[in-house]
Amino acid sequence: MKRKTNLAATVALLPTWLVAVVVFIGTMGWSIHLSFTNSTIFPSSTYVGLAQYQKLFSSAKWLASLQNVVTFGILYVGGCLLLGFLLATALDRKIRFESVFRTIFLYPYAMSFVVTGLIWQWMLNPMLGIQASVRSLGWDSFVLDWVVNRDMAIYALVLAGVWQGAGLVMVIVLSGMRGIEAEQWKAARIDGIPVWRIYLSIILPQLGPALAAAGLLLAMGVIKTYDIVVAMTNGGPGNATEVPAKFIMDNLFGRQNLGLATAGATVLVLGVLMIVAPFRYAMHMRGKKRGAR
Amino acid sequence: MKTMIKLFLAGVAFAGVLTPAQAEDKPTIEILSSWTSGGEAAALDVFKTEFEKRGGVWKDSSIAGFGAADAAFQNRIVAGDPPGAKQGIIGLAAADFVGQGLFNAVDDIAKAGKWADVLPKSILDLSSFGGETYLAPTGAHGESWVFYSKDAFAKAGIADEPKSWKEFFADLDKLKAAGLVPVAWGGQPWQQSKVFNMILLSQVGIDGFLKIYVDKDKSEASIAGVRKTLDILRKLNGYVDEAAAGRNWNDATAMLITAKAGVQFMGDWAKGEFTVAGKVAGKDYGCMIVPESPGMVYIADSFYFPKTGTAATDKGQKLLAEIVMDPAVQVAFSQKKGSIPVRLDIDKTKLDACALKGAALMSAGAIVPDQAIVLTPQQVGALDDFVDEFWNNGSEDATAAAEKFFDVFE
Amino acid sequence: MARLHPNGPRPTQITAGRIGLYLFLIVAVLFFTLPLYTMVVTSLKTMDEIRLGQIFSLPSKLDVSAWITAWSGACMGTVCVGIRSGFWNSLAITLPSVALSVFIGAVNGYALSLWRPRGASVLFGLLLAGGLIPYQIFLYPMVRAMATVGLYNSLAGIILVHVIFGLPLVTLLFRNYFVSVPEELCKAARVDGAGFWRIFFEIMLPIAVPMVVVVSMLQFTGIWNDFLLGLVFAGRDNLPMTVQLNNIVNTTMGERTYNVNMAATILTALVPLAIYFLSGRWFVRGIAAGAVKG
Repeated sequence: MKRKTNLAATVALLPTWLVAVVVFIGTMGWSIHLSFTNSTIFPSSTYVGLAQYQKLFSSAKWLASLQNVVTFGILYVGGCLLLGFLLATALDRKIRFESVFRTIFLYPYAMSFVVTGLIWQWMLNPMLGIQASVRSLGWDSFVLDWVVNRDMAIYALVLAGVWQGAGLVMVIVLSGMRGIEAEQWKAARIDGIPVWRIYLSIILPQLGPALAAAGLLLAMGVIKTYDIVVAMTNGGPGNATEVPAKFIMDNLFGRQNLGLATAGATVLVLGVLMIVAPFRYAMHMRGKKRGAR
Repeated sequence: MKTMIKLFLAGVAFAGVLTPAQAEDKPTIEILSSWTSGGEAAALDVFKTEFEKRGGVWKDSSIAGFGAADAAFQNRIVAGDPPGAKQGIIGLAAADFVGQGLFNAVDDIAKAGKWADVLPKSILDLSSFGGETYLAPTGAHGESWVFYSKDAFAKAGIADEPKSWKEFFADLDKLKAAGLVPVAWGGQPWQQSKVFNMILLSQVGIDGFLKIYVDKDKSEASIAGVRKTLDILRKLNGYVDEAAAGRNWNDATAMLITAKAGVQFMGDWAKGEFTVAGKVAGKDYGCMIVPESPGMVYIADSFYFPKTGTAATDKGQKLLAEIVMDPAVQVAFSQKKGSIPVRLDIDKTKLDACALKGAALMSAGAIVPDQAIVLTPQQVGALDDFVDEFWNNGSEDATAAAEKFFDVFE
Repeated sequence: MARLHPNGPRPTQITAGRIGLYLFLIVAVLFFTLPLYTMVVTSLKTMDEIRLGQIFSLPSKLDVSAWITAWSGACMGTVCVGIRSGFWNSLAITLPSVALSVFIGAVNGYALSLWRPRGASVLFGLLLAGGLIPYQIFLYPMVRAMATVGLYNSLAGIILVHVIFGLPLVTLLFRNYFVSVPEELCKAARVDGAGFWRIFFEIMLPIAVPMVVVVSMLQFTGIWNDFLLGLVFAGRDNLPMTVQLNNIVNTTMGERTYNVNMAATILTALVPLAIYFLSGRWFVRGIAAGAVKG
């Protein structure tokens, strides 16, 4: 009986196995293979050893893109989690028109970045946007030129990214808060603990899973960051906002350099695996413990 | 359940396969272009109208943006389902495809239409590979233009177009003193590379320019030319506003239209933006070739003709090649697109003041190809990176950078 | 158990804390709505007015022509039918893609968490890694593969592609959801002789309704807003609205009509926006019922 049902589970997973092996592993194998060739527009079978990798790591653009995606990723995920948590806390305080606020905070998640990126570009442009408006009100030394400032452009991306992603975190965290028993609140209030401390030391620790899920959702997006960069800065000024996904895309099509693009992708995937593997291992061990229980 | 999904997918797939076939014997063409905005689409429509008038079936698969259109095109080739024609620039961008045997030649049409007699030699050469003509050139754009706002010039007290870089910078100072933005700069790599090239041409001349880009000549003279170009570029950097980074060219043009800025370096397509805003060349704005330049950088569009293996499309390709090079069509197309006809024997009375200047330079053979025509896409990207880095990195030494410039060709 | 209500009694007195709270919310609302406000006012201006560069100013005169152009007149190449032509294509792509990916993801999550057949954790690891790879790199081989099986440039093809790329995220969410379901529930049903599919349809799927809502909305937004996959795989008869949007918005050498661009963008986003507005409650409730847990 047990074996038969297990068979059903195995069969049910077959299409997914097929996708994982054929699509994910197959593509990776194909990419790794091409990264050792001198392919330009189309795959070629002239092997050039590690030349593409040498080229990759002597490219200022690629090195900048790796650094940028790390900076962006940390600030973006952190910013979304922080703002999302604050918004959720505020909405949890018996606010009037809660659902209106909630919708306002969530709507950017439904908008495509193709044009909202342009709007952010305008708003952070010193001649058009917020800076010009504030100055016209009389504050002449006000500066907000992130999009065009080499040192600040990456923060402009973060700002727009947080604008889009914080609402999702808010919804997830808010629902996590609503899942906490009312008795805990009563008890804490009777003990006379101030509200902000309750959120910080009692509620926040219980939100671990919700925050982790939200963080994972956001992190999956970070490595693929492309649209927002193309729409807002197109990687500039200079290399200030270049990201790996854009580097790969540019070389894949515009620059017709399949070899370099696949080398970049291979490095990226290895990097991802090095981050994911320890997590998976930890989860696996936890799963074993759970199974033994 | 899984079977149901498969059946469903198969069913939908069948529905796709069974779409009724087009009439087999009519010349048919599916066009993949990136001409989607107002003037461009109107220009494409000139071809379409003529194609249909001559009994062809026209299907439009335009995708905006070079990157997106290229991605779509390359993927369709990989899938073995290329469109009948693809809009693209002449020169090396097509070389790999031709080398792989993916394109049909239109040599017979070119011979019958005597293209060799009516096209500038360099354009025909760059449309041909291994002695056979593969590409049908649609029109050329001049890229050595400085546009200026007459209002802004008046405000700054500038009476005449500057003849030298010295005069040019003196005028920029006047614009600055008048409280205007001297240069409306489009801070995107592709725009910056074009400015680099137009200055380079003014510094090294036509032969020097071709030596650098075609022969990849790294002589003392070439290096000195690049260095002088970089010096001018660095100097220009002092005349742009703080918000220039990442600016679209049309936003820069808007600064001229509203007389907030004095000059803009751009290709002649910028005229389209002036026209839409109701401004007239020679009256509201002026166009001049960059100071000291002996000629003009140009870029020419063309149609590529991928092998599709269908007789109707083969016919359609030949018909399209004929139409594209038809004298009347060339003029009508160029007017809509704001470009210059590539044929030298056309009726020039209908061209505007700027296009006339461009056409004159073209007839005189005083033209050099844009980098995208003579470099591989990889090298074009490397050039963009080089210019962008120099422009944005204020501390980079021009002499050292001029040496580094030649790494672009590796 | 889970509350659907805020904490504590509604305060009757106005305190400094309350004022600060509302102040924070108002600032946040400004931050979130400023871009939308800018888009709306821009869409209602004429190009002459836009060229003045006062992006936050109200239009001097309401001009809705940009909206009409965007919906039914904007040109993409020689075809001038506006963005509406992609609307039905987007629906035809999105609805089956969402339904299929959510269904398969739910089965996966259920099988991976409650049955754990041999190799389950390897498969899950593969999916997780697959979900982290930029999908641009999949384009070439996928195009080849799709062309080989005859699904390239077809509705079925683009749906299949969306299902494949949706699997990692959807499976991950469902797996984490089902992990929190007591195993006893499943064991008891098995003792009663129920099989894999019966337990799934009769017990697990009903429990997972909130999760289905949440995942469907995430997938809907993602697939509706996808541009690249639609461009490459859908074929010219099935191009989604985002490809039309790109054709209106994106240009290198042509003129840009920002008012039409803004109107077209808002129009493209209307369907996901409507879903959020109408079912925002469901969304929160779905997550509140434990849809997303670590």
